[in-house]
Amino acid sequence: MKRCGWLMVALVPFVLFGGCGPKPGTPDTGGKKKLTVCMLPKKKGVPYFTSCAQGAEEAAKELGNVELIYDGPTDGAAEKSASMIEKWTLQGVDVIAVSPNDPEVVSPAMRKAREKGIKVITWDADGATDAREFFVNQATAQEIGYGLVDTMAKDLGGAEPEGEVAIITATLTAANQNAWIKFMKERMAKYPKMKLVALQPSSEDQKLAFQVAQDLMKAHPNLKGIFGISSVAFPGAAEAVKQAGKSGKVLVTGLATPNDMKAYVKDGTVKSVILWNTPDLGYLTVRVAHDLATGALKPGATSIQVGRLGEKKIEGDNVLLGKLLVFTKENIDQYDF
Amino acid sequence: MTVSFRNLAARRETGVAVLLGLTVAVVAGLNPAFVSGANIRDMLVQCAPAAIVGCGLTFVLLTGEIDISLGSMMGFLAAVMGLATSSQYGNLPAPAGIAITLAAGTAIGLLNGVLVSVGRVPSIIVTLGMLTALRGLTELIMGGKWISGIPPGLRYLGTGTVIGVPISIWVAAVTVVLAWLFARETPAGRRIYALGSNPKAAVLAGLSPTRIKLFVFALTGFLVAVATLVGTTQLSVIESGIGVGFEMVVVTSVVVGGASINGGKGTILGMLLGVILLGIVRTVLIFLNLGETSVYWERAIQGAFILVAVLMDHLASRRKSAEVPT
Amino acid sequence: MKALFRRYPHEWILVGLLTGLLLAAWRLDPPFVSVGTQAELSTHIWEMALLTVPMTLIIITAGIDLSVGATMALCAVVLGMTFERGTPVAVASLLAILTGLACGFLNGVFVAKVRVHPLIVTLATMSAYRGIAEGLSLAKPVSGFPASFAFIGRGEWHGISVPGLIVALAMLAAWVVLNRSVLGRFLFAIGHNETASRFSGVPVDRIKLLLYSLAGTSAGLAAVMFVSRRNTAKADIATGMELDVVTAVVLGGASLFGGRGRIVGTLLGVLLIHETREYVSWRWQNDELILVVIGALLIVSVLVNTLLTRRQAVS
Repeated sequence: MKRCGWLMVALVPFVLFGGCGPKPGTPDTGGKKKLTVCMLPKKKGVPYFTSCAQGAEEAAKELGNVELIYDGPTDGAAEKSASMIEKWTLQGVDVIAVSPNDPEVVSPAMRKAREKGIKVITWDADGATDAREFFVNQATAQEIGYGLVDTMAKDLGGAEPEGEVAIITATLTAANQNAWIKFMKERMAKYPKMKLVALQPSSEDQKLAFQVAQDLMKAHPNLKGIFGISSVAFPGAAEAVKQAGKSGKVLVTGLATPNDMKAYVKDGTVKSVILWNTPDLGYLTVRVAHDLATGALKPGATSIQVGRLGEKKIEGDNVLLGKLLVFTKENIDQYDF
Repeated sequence: MTVSFRNLAARRETGVAVLLGLTVAVVAGLNPAFVSGANIRDMLVQCAPAAIVGCGLTFVLLTGEIDISLGSMMGFLAAVMGLATSSQYGNLPAPAGIAITLAAGTAIGLLNGVLVSVGRVPSIIVTLGMLTALRGLTELIMGGKWISGIPPGLRYLGTGTVIGVPISIWVAAVTVVLAWLFARETPAGRRIYALGSNPKAAVLAGLSPTRIKLFVFALTGFLVAVATLVGTTQLSVIESGIGVGFEMVVVTSVVVGGASINGGKGTILGMLLGVILLGIVRTVLIFLNLGETSVYWERAIQGAFILVAVLMDHLASRRKSAEVPT
Repeated sequence: MKALFRRYPHEWILVGLLTGLLLAAWRLDPPFVSVGTQAELSTHIWEMALLTVPMTLIIITAGIDLSVGATMALCAVVLGMTFERGTPVAVASLLAILTGLACGFLNGVFVAKVRVHPLIVTLATMSAYRGIAEGLSLAKPVSGFPASFAFIGRGEWHGISVPGLIVALAMLAAWVVLNRSVLGRFLFAIGHNETASRFSGVPVDRIKLLLYSLAGTSAGLAAVMFVSRRNTAKADIATGMELDVVTAVVLGGASLFGGRGRIVGTLLGVLLIHETREYVSWRWQNDELILVVIGALLIVSVLVNTLLTRRQAVS
């Protein structure tokens, strides 16, 4: 009985895996030669990145000869991203597009991939400049940091916007957010009456952001503004302000996809939402990846034709998406992502 | 023997209560807004889900088992609830959503119970596997998007009030009282204690460990569903990270409150005190406003709290008895 | 041959699963099982594998240590911060390992002297150590380590991977202890019946202190290996590591109630988790699916093992 037992157990994987045919996406299956483009978000399962993937899929379909693999760590661990890049290197894919959570961790893997002849680009956030050929850039950390503070200042109103403000960030170790915070603090010097009274993490947990916002409003009764600088913290903070009945009295701004903030913008809790066109970012990334792989795009180019986006400028090795978008009551209905 | 046991238990709860009282007094002294009606209400609302689930977990620990799948269960149930009732997906009415969530929670709890009692798989393994698998399943069914469009009926559970007190506090209070009565006054509750403190004797006395364990796990699953219904509906979107780390909070609270990992020891009151103590740490730090760098020490402080509570209990019990070392 | 099966039923189940998996992979995605691929993929697993060694010993004594990931993070932070301030990287690494020793020792003191249940102690220190790591580093990462430092995490010595060598030596040492030494027999005794062991003169407290200190030291070494391999030292590394490690050890057949466990089993557990994870990622390119598979694998393997061994002798 025992021996049959373990023999049966050994057959389990066969039964599980044997039934499935070769998966599209494993590049070594024969047939038509498709370009494999691997798109790696910082964290899978977050609407911001899912909306980028939307645009990426659109581009892949349009081009017709692109096999798009969209995968990333569901917990956002940089170490996992590096492991995935190493796996793709072994699989011999054509292009890897990385949004690195931690450039130091991911860049060595990117370099190894380039050594094997794989094209590597970055999007959304940059890695080491010698580890990738192009960076599809939507906005610099400075633009984002300054933009957040400027928007809050504008919403606070007046020639000298004043008030206590607080920042709710993602995790304390999030590289992007920390870069933005640095520039935000820099920019606040321009508004001497805007005072930063607290900085709290919310570790990618909307409920936590909600509770932190509640606590902040009670601990600082003169709080005038809250920055929710992660796509999870922003709606959480907005909900807290709304439930506390302080819509309009405590301003909330931050970065999030318009669909997730539409209700709050419509009811006045949030005046402005900052972001960029994320599907376009994904679309542009796949296009750049494709052109790089076919040789249509070479280092030194100053512009690139990108399907429905028209012509995009290239500054050095940065492919520029365009300006930051600010969504308000007036224009938020135009966007669906 | 029962008398000294009760004294021991009382000692732990007293210790936690004292620590809690001291903390509140100190912070209130520095920032009176801390004990305002609004803040107390908000803090209790924050603790409500943990208190509800803590009742179930206390019973699980009493039988000598453990359940660390609570957070992933909550995330999964939130996704199920969202997909069933959201106007973007299933669009079912709120009562149907409530029924489905409760049923799903009980079913998962029952599955845990079956694997533990019938399959004889250690509960740490079952619930560790569930913690991982359910989180992955949640991510899969949500497909990278958040769920909004939750019907107002469900949102009311999370945001509504009855005579000024939020529904979640009512539900938590009722659950805790019922659990407390169940543990102390009913024969079934007594049986749970018996099973945990001496499994062999319990079996000889005719108790059925299988049935008791099935019950406590199913109950916990049910309570996680209840907590999901009143907890996650506070927000307008369901996101895939709901519940991450929740099990650690509940386990820690229950153990700080006096429950023993080995079974047979623990009270609902202790659990409640533990939940509140750990639940207010972050709020305390925000109110103390110790400056930016204090934020980075929050987790260290939480860990310290646990160690202090545990040390206190141990020193108390050492003074009490000169028993055989365990 | 039959006797060999009967003596190690759980291990044979694992071997069966592993073989089945690799055969399926060989048939469906041949590049996966190539030596080059496997060698490259193996680099992902060394720190986790190292930590399973003291964890096996601890679990055999019916204990557990959930703080290994947090200890690793704290050691990494110590390594990074001292290096940043000019300490040579070798000294910084030594400091990191000593930090691990201290963390483990503290765990041991609480478990052995204060007599608190290891689950509670390590649950608390898990928060405390990671919290201290965050507090000290202010959540800032440190990188820029010298190229020579990468030797520990990624280097090769006569063609053998250095971290792999470290893990192999650790496992060998543990095997010798468990199977050929008095200490090993003490460990099983403590796991089976701690009170009786105490009365029999087994120095239970000292052994526990040793085991948890060892776990902490390994975490420190693992931190050095990780930082050297990934060129970054920060407070959020190794989150979830403790669950992975416990999963591997338990998958390998050790019982959390104590008294049972084998290094061979742990090794197989590590391999099985590693290959399953890598292959699912290779073929389905879906991170969420991996979680479901690993969780199911854990439950199913223990379930199967329990069902099969119940036919055996009385427990």
